[in-house]
Amino acid sequence: MTSAQKAASLARVGLFAGLPPASLDALAELAGEVAFEDGDPIVIQGQVGTGLFVVVSGAARVVHGGQELARLGPGEFLGELAVIDRQPRMASAFAMGPTTCLALASWDLFRRLDADPDLVHSLLRGLTARLRHLSEHHSH
Amino acid sequence: MEALTERPFPPGDYPLVVVGSGPGGLQASYSLRRLGIDHALITADDSPGGMFRRFPFFQRLLSWTKPYAPVPRDSRAYGRYDWNSLIGEEPAHRSIQPELMDGTSEFPSRPEMEAQLAEFVRRTALPIRYGCRWEATRRDGDRFVLQTSDGEYRCGLVVFAVGVAEPFTPEMAGREHVVHYVDTRDAASYAGKRLFIIGKQNSGFELASGLLHWASRIVLASPRPAKLSVETNSLAGIRARYVQPIEDRFMGGGVFILNAAIEGVERDGDAFRVRTRATDGGADLAVEADEVIAATGFVAPLRDLPALGVATFGQSRLPAQTPYWESATVPGIYFAGTINMGAPGLKKNGVGGTGAVQGTRYNAQLLAREIAERHFGIVAPRPRLAPADVVDYLLEEATDAPELWNQKGYLSRAVLFDGDGPYDEGIVPVQAFVDGSGADGVAMTLEGDAEGVVRPVAYVRRRGAISELSLDPDPLNEFRASADARAHLTAGLTELLP
Amino acid sequence: MAGTEEMIDELSGLALFADLARPELAGVVHTLDEEWYPDGQRILREGLSGTGFYVLLEGEVSVRLGEQEVARLRRGAYFGEAAILLGELPGADVVAVGRVRVVNLAGPALKDFLMRHPNVMFRILQEQTRRLRGAIQWRR
Repeated sequence: MTSAQKAASLARVGLFAGLPPASLDALAELAGEVAFEDGDPIVIQGQVGTGLFVVVSGAARVVHGGQELARLGPGEFLGELAVIDRQPRMASAFAMGPTTCLALASWDLFRRLDADPDLVHSLLRGLTARLRHLSEHHSH
Repeated sequence: MEALTERPFPPGDYPLVVVGSGPGGLQASYSLRRLGIDHALITADDSPGGMFRRFPFFQRLLSWTKPYAPVPRDSRAYGRYDWNSLIGEEPAHRSIQPELMDGTSEFPSRPEMEAQLAEFVRRTALPIRYGCRWEATRRDGDRFVLQTSDGEYRCGLVVFAVGVAEPFTPEMAGREHVVHYVDTRDAASYAGKRLFIIGKQNSGFELASGLLHWASRIVLASPRPAKLSVETNSLAGIRARYVQPIEDRFMGGGVFILNAAIEGVERDGDAFRVRTRATDGGADLAVEADEVIAATGFVAPLRDLPALGVATFGQSRLPAQTPYWESATVPGIYFAGTINMGAPGLKKNGVGGTGAVQGTRYNAQLLAREIAERHFGIVAPRPRLAPADVVDYLLEEATDAPELWNQKGYLSRAVLFDGDGPYDEGIVPVQAFVDGSGADGVAMTLEGDAEGVVRPVAYVRRRGAISELSLDPDPLNEFRASADARAHLTAGLTELLP
Repeated sequence: MAGTEEMIDELSGLALFADLARPELAGVVHTLDEEWYPDGQRILREGLSGTGFYVLLEGEVSVRLGEQEVARLRRGAYFGEAAILLGELPGADVVAVGRVRVVNLAGPALKDFLMRHPNVMFRILQEQTRRLRGAIQWRR
């Protein structure tokens, strides 16, 4: 993937919505492509969440308690909160057919955040907007 | 001759006692007297003026009294242009300050301010018991008992107008080497000295400005950066008059400004060494100085009131107050003057009520009215308004009312509605209106928005629910003449004024 | 100022300020205003503009939509951030339960404060992430 393609992929992640292009480019530099064979685990339930994954090609099944909960296709993502708080994965995800993902590790994100308070502020605004949106739904 | 008359208010029983003879105590007592409320006014001082008997040391006051204003001097509206005179209800009691200024500045000197307050006392024949120091307080059933240097005063209500002028120097190593701002001497005595001023608020900058001419070097230090009132578009921050030292620092004239905490002060031969620890990533320094001055502020001299249950907060130990300046925890104890900073109001965009005379004099006037209604059954008239006049009336107030202009978002003009239509409820603290559960109505105030632009804001209360109606700013603040403001306000009041 | 050392001690005990060395905390103490509220007093009012950012020092506050409590906050919690970060009006009342002490910062000063103290901003980022996780329970 080119840097521009990686940035475009990351832009699909809810957490990064609204980030200026320069911030996305900087994150793209830190993100890496990972290839999976059919059936390979992408994340395993209960393990420390070390980062986020955006599906670039192929697909992933999200499984919890033996039940398939969702299927993620290109442009969809998982672990966007784990990249900040590293909470244990709440479900497992397995590749369906050959699958490529873009991976951003939390330690890479943190290094970027240390250097870029504006990025932290943008993420903060994005998270807060999501929270507010959810609360409004919950209030009915 | 005054010396032959008995001092007024001997110890004994009074319905109410006012403690303090600065602007707060004088205004409260005058307003109570006008309402016919029997009370005693006592003070430890031997003349009126409160803090203005001593402060400020240098420069003039920060509050203006403009000899030439767009409105007549004895009008209510003149209060926007005269921040210093107390509010009199007869022409002879009003706007005294401009008569006593020498014409060289629109800011009175300290002696001119002190003279105005003394003249107010003289013209209003306000009785004051001087030399009577409040020392202790206790309760006896439903009475308060004030122990003073002259004996005991028993009363049902107390108004403490004791200021926020008790000097405070924080604990630090070598505190004994530090002199507080209140002990500042004649400027010439600082000639050639290297000064270290702890504190970057107005008192620190007032000293730096006043001693710029004399000191060979001035270092100002405090943990956080100075903010300027011209940046905050409010009175919060260093006032414009005191900005000279900041300019001097840019030009390398011998002023240095540090963002640092003070680690300690040590003797170094005939001088001192101040050890600092930077709070902004700068270097930790040891600075030599001939004098170390703490412009570190003041606390309210509340004596044993906290032991009586008066809750306090903040670094000035202000008493927590209701929107009508009653202690939030001990009913019957009220406050007037600078100490009203313990009732900051809604603090829209960070701007709260002021502790300065231009605001607190209106607070004291309102306090008197509120005490009269609540405790003495003296109810101020509520004049009727024609429904067709309500919008114009509110816009007039937004354009001219000094109560609205002098403390943004703090006091309002309220119009309420009953079965017979609208009536003028008078000036009402905004917080009291917004949090109150009274009749339907509207309260008009002025607020600075997030960019510091002043606009009229109307709070509309309908069946207990409040909505906020912000009107457009006007370049000349002529809201009474603004068709947009009229249309917008009319639209916002359709439920109240069908 | 009276009580500066006590206030520094008090703030240093809160998670929000846990990463700050004492000199930086001294700067924070001088920037924030301490406020006191009696039982039942509204601190934040739904629908009113010009609100500020608050950190709870002592006591509890109730977050209310109309008469309904939707959350209870305790010592160390912050509130008021959403309205400022998103440039919107508060969506709920926040009411003192018992006597409450807070520190407060004016809305227009928040961004600058967060930029000046990025460790505090990062702590808020982590807390918003935690709140979002709690709100969405399990999502991808």
